[in-house]
Amino acid sequence: MLNFAPTEEQEEIRNLAHSIAIEQLRPQGRSAEKRGDISLELLHTLVQTGLTTPFPESLGGSGTIEALTYTLIAEELGFGDGGLAMNVTGSLMGPVAVLLTGDENQQGHYIMPFSDEQEGYMRFGSFAFAEHTGGYSLADVNATARVEGERVIVNGTKRDVIHGGRSRPRVVLLRLEGTTGLGGLCLLAIPAQAEGMHIRSDTHKLGLSAAPSVSFTFVNAAIAATNLLGKPGDGGVIQAATLYAILRGAVACGMARAAFEYARDYAKGRIAFGRPIASYQGIAFIAAEMAMKLDAARLLVWRAATSWDRGVDDETLVREAEAAQHQAIEIAKSATIDAVQILGGAGFLQDHPVEMWMRDAAAME
Amino acid sequence: MIDLTLSKSQQAARDYAHQVALEEMRPISLECDRSEKIPESFFWNMQRRFWAGAAGQARTQAQEESEKQENVLSILSQEEMAWGDAALSTAIPGPGLAAPPILSQGTPEQQMRFLGPYMDGQLHWGALALTEPGIGSDVAGMSTTAVLDGDEWVINGHKHYITNGARADLVVTFATIDKSLGREGIRPFVVPKETPGLIVGRIEEKMGLRASQTAELIFENCRIPKDNLLSGRESSKKAGFKAAMGTLDATRPMVGALAVGIARAAYETTSEWVCEELPKGFPLQKRREIEDELEEFRQKIEMARFLVWRAAWMADRRIPNSKEASMSKAYAGELVMKMTAAAVRITATGESSERKHFINKWFRDAKVFDIFEGTAQIQRLVIARRLFPEIDIP
Repeated sequence: MLNFAPTEEQEEIRNLAHSIAIEQLRPQGRSAEKRGDISLELLHTLVQTGLTTPFPESLGGSGTIEALTYTLIAEELGFGDGGLAMNVTGSLMGPVAVLLTGDENQQGHYIMPFSDEQEGYMRFGSFAFAEHTGGYSLADVNATARVEGERVIVNGTKRDVIHGGRSRPRVVLLRLEGTTGLGGLCLLAIPAQAEGMHIRSDTHKLGLSAAPSVSFTFVNAAIAATNLLGKPGDGGVIQAATLYAILRGAVACGMARAAFEYARDYAKGRIAFGRPIASYQGIAFIAAEMAMKLDAARLLVWRAATSWDRGVDDETLVREAEAAQHQAIEIAKSATIDAVQILGGAGFLQDHPVEMWMRDAAAME
Repeated sequence: MIDLTLSKSQQAARDYAHQVALEEMRPISLECDRSEKIPESFFWNMQRRFWAGAAGQARTQAQEESEKQENVLSILSQEEMAWGDAALSTAIPGPGLAAPPILSQGTPEQQMRFLGPYMDGQLHWGALALTEPGIGSDVAGMSTTAVLDGDEWVINGHKHYITNGARADLVVTFATIDKSLGREGIRPFVVPKETPGLIVGRIEEKMGLRASQTAELIFENCRIPKDNLLSGRESSKKAGFKAAMGTLDATRPMVGALAVGIARAAYETTSEWVCEELPKGFPLQKRREIEDELEEFRQKIEMARFLVWRAAWMADRRIPNSKEASMSKAYAGELVMKMTAAAVRITATGESSERKHFINKWFRDAKVFDIFEGTAQIQRLVIARRLFPEIDIP
């Protein structure tokens, strides 16, 4: 039955995420970009609220992840700062992928450390999805895994792997050699070093600089088969990959909303020819367009998230999640560009965050 | 709890409307468009299906569910009807656009008096007369007047673009009781068909929605009873104008739903055309580009539909939805034009076929969805004014 209102509990969690976004992510966005990483202080706050430990209580977490609830959180984080939101989301996807696919030992091994009271907040995970030859679509996954006895031979590339240089678990999405379709996809948690594997840090990034990333190259890299998470073609593999797409979409909605609200407030205060520029239809219509397209994309993200929670079939889930991600990133790109336009010359300066957001949104591709 | 799936009764209403569209509308769609005529049998079939048939049951069933959902059920049905034929959907017997102002501004007695006769199993229509030559969205400049003379209102003026205007049993007519009050002097009046002085002018010939009847109405000293003024719920100055605007908040999502229905029809038919009628030797790379483009449209149609659903859902919950209603209409209106234009372009190659004839028709039908119930620009103005409540956007 149609309903467009979050539950009271979801509203509370969203409000919590919103206040952290406003009080910490937003003011720290620019310094995080310069530093190229999130601050320990912010990591600590996030862990304390339970927002970054959506694992079962048996694994020390704050409760198993739900896509819709986390979609609401991710949008707020993205609203605070897109780069920091991707830093957090990229890290989170590592342990969450293990949660969705790994056996008990793997879950204990990889997830428990995130819940450690002393050092858990300094842990990072990573989830390698996109490749040098494609985007964040499962159809573009070409890096391969070949099981040979007790080893898995990996070939291919991965790009823009957030935290990929220091993460544990370091989850990589691969395709079993010789397979096509969703059934041949698998997840592998790879170690920091292996013969035939090269990790290179990304430098001088266009955007999302607050989320440090690397690229992987595998040339007949041999990894212990015990590092395979679950079985190839498991529903869990698709769940993990689609969840990443959905959350990226949610972060993108947050980025678009940040740009929209910033430009809206600027347009109210900026006077030209004796009137606030918002009173000119040329500006007001741009704002209307931003708001309209953002709402449309958000509904698509919500639909994909509710489908994830309901457990629809894999084909439907992949189609919905990828559509949501695509449309949300489209509006994030156009809204941030429009925001710079509304600010005019001021938008081009680093005094305002909109130029950073414009680069961040473009880097979501 | 956020849920973008339909309940059983919502799905049932949608399925029923789809069946009607498939069986009653598509088969006569092209012919009605060419001839600008609708066969009498269509009206009776619709009368039977919608006032007696399973739709009635679906409606009763839906009402048993705890929440009000007349707007949601209506837009679910509208999308399917427009998928069948948007022009024919406007001609389905019933009070049509006259219903919302009567329901929102009429007293219980007026609602019974004006809407009761629609339940008698015969063919009746209703119409809404708002637009005047030279007066579109800027209703403040309305020149049709209503003057109280004893126990009667005397109406004089000229209205046009009135859907079903020549066949309506009653016309909800907006007129000013005092021009100096601007839009606050505007009131809705119910003018029965047989009122002396109510003259049907020309029936417009249009680019699209050709089977839909668009009439001109002239009011020459039309005398109607005093209590045909709809002002039951509110006696404040703004009542009349609010009725006009409140009507739009309910009808804009419906127009959006119609646009989604046409866009979907064009999307589906173009996809079928690519599978079955693409000329031999068509380059594979170009075919892939077309498929990518269609996938993009598929996603945008879903977004448009969700915007429509949300606006209707808000209306059912009595949550103010002017902004969301305008968003749904603006987004869907723009999309249907782009979708049908792309359909014409994609299917330009190859031989003439029925699919192409449908696509050509939908292309012509689509444009008005960016115009009526407020143009694309007016929708953006409505949205912008809600986004900047403290700023005067002239």
